[in-house]
Amino acid sequence: MNKQVALKADDAKKTADGKEFNIRDYLRLDLFPHFMCPGCGHGIALRALLWAIHEQGIDKDKLAVVCGIGCSGRVGGYIDANTFHTTHGRPLAYATGLKMARPDLHVVVITGDGDCLAIGGNHLIHAARRNLDITCLMLNNEIYGMTGGQGSPTTPRDRFTTTTPAGNREPVFDACKLAEAAGAGYVGREVTIHLPRLRDLIAGGLAHKGFSFIEVMSDCTEVNGRKNDLGSSPEMVLGQTRTMRPPDYEYDSNVVDHPFRPSGLHTGVFVQSDRPEYGAAYRDMSEKLQQGRTKP
Amino acid sequence: MAKAKKQNPVLVPESKKLDPANMTEPVNILVVGVGGQGVIMVSKVLAQICQNLGYQVKQSEVHGMAKRGGVVFSHVRFGQQVWSPTIPVGKADVLIALEWAEGLRWMNYLRPDSGVFIADTKRIVPPFACRSRALGAEIGYSKDTPDDVKAKVCEAFAIDATEMAAKAGNERAANTLLLGALSTTLTFPTSEWKEVIARMVPPKTVDVNLSVFDQGQKWIDGSRRGEPVEGGAFVPLVQPEVNPERTMLEITAEWCKGCDICVKMCPERCLVLNKDQVAELAEPEKCTGCHICEWLCPDFAISLNPVSQEAAE
Repeated sequence: MNKQVALKADDAKKTADGKEFNIRDYLRLDLFPHFMCPGCGHGIALRALLWAIHEQGIDKDKLAVVCGIGCSGRVGGYIDANTFHTTHGRPLAYATGLKMARPDLHVVVITGDGDCLAIGGNHLIHAARRNLDITCLMLNNEIYGMTGGQGSPTTPRDRFTTTTPAGNREPVFDACKLAEAAGAGYVGREVTIHLPRLRDLIAGGLAHKGFSFIEVMSDCTEVNGRKNDLGSSPEMVLGQTRTMRPPDYEYDSNVVDHPFRPSGLHTGVFVQSDRPEYGAAYRDMSEKLQQGRTKP
Repeated sequence: MAKAKKQNPVLVPESKKLDPANMTEPVNILVVGVGGQGVIMVSKVLAQICQNLGYQVKQSEVHGMAKRGGVVFSHVRFGQQVWSPTIPVGKADVLIALEWAEGLRWMNYLRPDSGVFIADTKRIVPPFACRSRALGAEIGYSKDTPDDVKAKVCEAFAIDATEMAAKAGNERAANTLLLGALSTTLTFPTSEWKEVIARMVPPKTVDVNLSVFDQGQKWIDGSRRGEPVEGGAFVPLVQPEVNPERTMLEITAEWCKGCDICVKMCPERCLVLNKDQVAELAEPEKCTGCHICEWLCPDFAISLNPVSQEAAE
């Protein structure tokens, strides 16, 4: 590899109208390589998010990324924007306050399955109920990876974890149905192997005025995959479209939805409603109060 | 414009037309094309006419999995006495090709001394011809022109039948136009041809089919007399446009954790893990710049950069 050639090409790309997506423009390069395990799907999800942000033309100074605790909580720290590392399960609560105070910011929440559904489950349903203009990215790797592999609310049946040494028997949450029932305006799910589709899904969530809940089916290769014999990193990535997801979500089969197999795990946009956004209603009320009228 | 070759005077007089009544061996007509073009219909019309005229006919075809897009061929043999249903190599009197490359594929079935090659210049590029994913790879479709074919067979006609039929109102009538061309090589009366065609084609398309049948006859006659005839233009196949922008794969070795995703996902298999368990571009010339490794790298270690022309040199 000719390093000089590469550098020249890189320079040319940066000056060329700034239109081409280069992920390194959006990363804190001094923190790299990142802390995540080899083959972790969170990196792919982060690329999709940054690409969607680039496509939506969102200024980095107008972007606020709020993260919780866990593997997913560390993802936000690598984004070269305004980022918050908050308490466990509470990124949506922090994000709600942030969005209320600074409606000009694009607030993106990156959270995990445990952070969002177990510790922060209450915050999720209330954020969805309020329908505030936040984009919530739930990286679902079906396990508490950082703390050593405990079973999470989305750990499928019969999976071995440190808290379920004989196999998991707890039923799982279908997070998309939960968010939909709680009133989220935009709900979708995608796997990381379909990166362009994931990017478009997130871009739709960023553009949507209201609470956007996006479940990203990610891989935990080191903790979940190793303990359950799910295969190597590439096998797990490829398995996303075939046999990786056990049939816990009340769908007919354990494969990802496909035009030729429409009974699999459904992906794509499930809900896109124009339910009123709370921030606008709140500001409307506050304006009326300032004008001296106490009743709306 | 396709014309009879000068050094090969083939203005076939009426007496040289194929007349099964005066022949001891059966007449062999091979019809080839692509699924959906109407190959079977052509052979059925021909077989029906022969039957009406009292000859023994054997017709055999292969269409099976070729439905819509694959190879279809049909052997028609007729005469006083026909034993075998298939035509031996080098014994076909007329080869009717509804698709150009299919015609070339079956050319060795023609009689070397007297075979007549009639082909539509319509080109249907099969997916098989586009297997090479390399940047700017050429389509693997035959580059033979009508002149190349004329040098190889006794008499060859390349008609743009699909275009002519489309002008007449229905491009799917191209097979009837080729039947018209075929009729010039046989002694069967035109009225018989038209009667059978009118019965075999869908009722709404009878007029179009009969008019293109006449066109096909006229085209061959005109071409044999050396008159300039329309519809013989052979437009070279258009290669898909190639993005001239070359890309170069750059791997940041310090960021790579050796998860193997890029190596296993690369459709060209041009990446490997080296002895330090770091991804490495082993065969740069095979890289097509498809971005899959870049997109699925969880560590952002791979980036595809466009290379300007001068930098590449």
